[in-house]
Amino acid sequence: MTTAEKVAALTGTEVQELETEFVVAPEHHFALAELLQSEGYTFYITVAATHFAGEVPNKKNPEGSPETFQVATVLRKPEPGASSFACWRVELAAGEPIDSLVPLFEGADWQGREQFDLVGVVFKNHPDLRRLMMPEDWEGHPLRRDYAIETAHPPWR
Amino acid sequence: MSLSIQPYSAEQPVNPYLDVDLYDPDADLMVLNLGPQHPSTHGVFRVKLILDGEVIVKAIGYPGYLHRGVEKLCEKLNYSNIKAIIDKNDYISPMINEQAVNMAFEKLAGVEVPRRALWLRSLLAEFQRIASHLIALGTFGLDVGGALGGGASAFMYCFRDREMILDVFEELSGCRFHYNTHCVGGNRHDVPAGWDRMVLPALEVIEARLDELVDMMVNNQVFVDRTQGVGVIPKNLALGLGLTGPNGRASGIDCDLRRDAPYNAYGEVEVRPAVRSAGDCQARFLCRVDEIRESARLARLFLAGLPEGPISGTKPNKGPTSVKIKEGRCYVGLSTPRGELGTYLIAGGNKGLSPYRLKIRPPSLHHLASIPYILPGNNLSDAIAILGSLDPVMGEADR
Repeated sequence: MTTAEKVAALTGTEVQELETEFVVAPEHHFALAELLQSEGYTFYITVAATHFAGEVPNKKNPEGSPETFQVATVLRKPEPGASSFACWRVELAAGEPIDSLVPLFEGADWQGREQFDLVGVVFKNHPDLRRLMMPEDWEGHPLRRDYAIETAHPPWR
Repeated sequence: MSLSIQPYSAEQPVNPYLDVDLYDPDADLMVLNLGPQHPSTHGVFRVKLILDGEVIVKAIGYPGYLHRGVEKLCEKLNYSNIKAIIDKNDYISPMINEQAVNMAFEKLAGVEVPRRALWLRSLLAEFQRIASHLIALGTFGLDVGGALGGGASAFMYCFRDREMILDVFEELSGCRFHYNTHCVGGNRHDVPAGWDRMVLPALEVIEARLDELVDMMVNNQVFVDRTQGVGVIPKNLALGLGLTGPNGRASGIDCDLRRDAPYNAYGEVEVRPAVRSAGDCQARFLCRVDEIRESARLARLFLAGLPEGPISGTKPNKGPTSVKIKEGRCYVGLSTPRGELGTYLIAGGNKGLSPYRLKIRPPSLHHLASIPYILPGNNLSDAIAILGSLDPVMGEADR
């Protein structure tokens, strides 16, 4: 059984190639990372959260659409000669938390904090979820789509 | 009550979330802020150290003093404008930073890059790697002690040698630092006539002087005492933290994207990354020394084999809106002097003219994330050596 088949069996989605981003349900996120770690994907690479602003009902989209988040995780297999990576994403509704990978990978600590700080995705079971880049008393999450670059702030010290 | 904290080892890992009582009169702990403006932090990085006498009990890192919101800016800029600000991320190796985002754009746009441009990019990357490692070695000498033979003097020698590479780049692109020479589909500047007469002697001089530098530092007993066995990062911790580049290879992770996932022209030559198993400050230093030698060898190969042909696959940019990517998403990683610089790109913002989301994976931030694990149990003076040996660049860690 190849790794891609095992991943497909676990998540119930069709996975052709691990390097092409595939979608995973939030409840399978942690188990998938555990499976991939045992399959040799032991190198923690990155996590990237993205905010998709919802739409208010308009002419083109009479129903409107809710605001959503996507969190992509990348793990690498450090094999001499032929290294490959696995990239998957989890789609979340607004306010829905995602499992933190800190119990498996120490690097998920700061990376998770950065995404929490800039995008506002909440990581469950994170031991120390604080802002990383912005000042502690900053309001809002700057990498959200509805956060305008021109947003005025009192001068920071 | 006295706290006995041992340095990180596989058998006895350090708990970075240790709960310490700062007001316990028996423990008598002290809080010391190292940085943000401290020369050993190589930029503005603050570490809050909790000390028991001279031994570190707990270390808390505070990055973010140089946060400029690059990822947010990228969502507003056109594709051809982005590389100019990505240059400033890792300001020690801007040449490779440009390549990283360009590779992601080319992958999604489906642009073919001519072979000459690929070889030229690899050649420039190897030069930049030498220049970047020279800074790492020189500043590490400064961190370990200017009073040692080979402290401040090594720093000056390294900067003198790096100057030659900056001259080479200036001859090519007109800029000494932020080159802006890569564009989507190729390069902007072709090699000027007689460039090799400038490049080859520079490589020879650097290689010859590198031996002197190693003599000065690695063969110095004071340097050995301060680096050997200090700040050991076991392989498992390095994997979990995502330590790439020389820092990871010094801990025994045999992974180099130039060899294992070849991009540019690296698939056509043999790359021999330097791997060590000790994982201490000295191993990280020696990995960088070996990488300079390897880069000089590769640079000669790339220069000798530079193929003829066009330098860019696309027509010259008529305006900033000439690159359009409607949709798609990808992750692309390449090997910078510090480690794997990844670009996670979701295209399709601003009607295809800008990225919807551009996430940069900075190797330095992962390296800094290791300090809560490896500083406790060490002396305060060793903290400086460990921070220096990680060679972080705050410009890319904070972005």
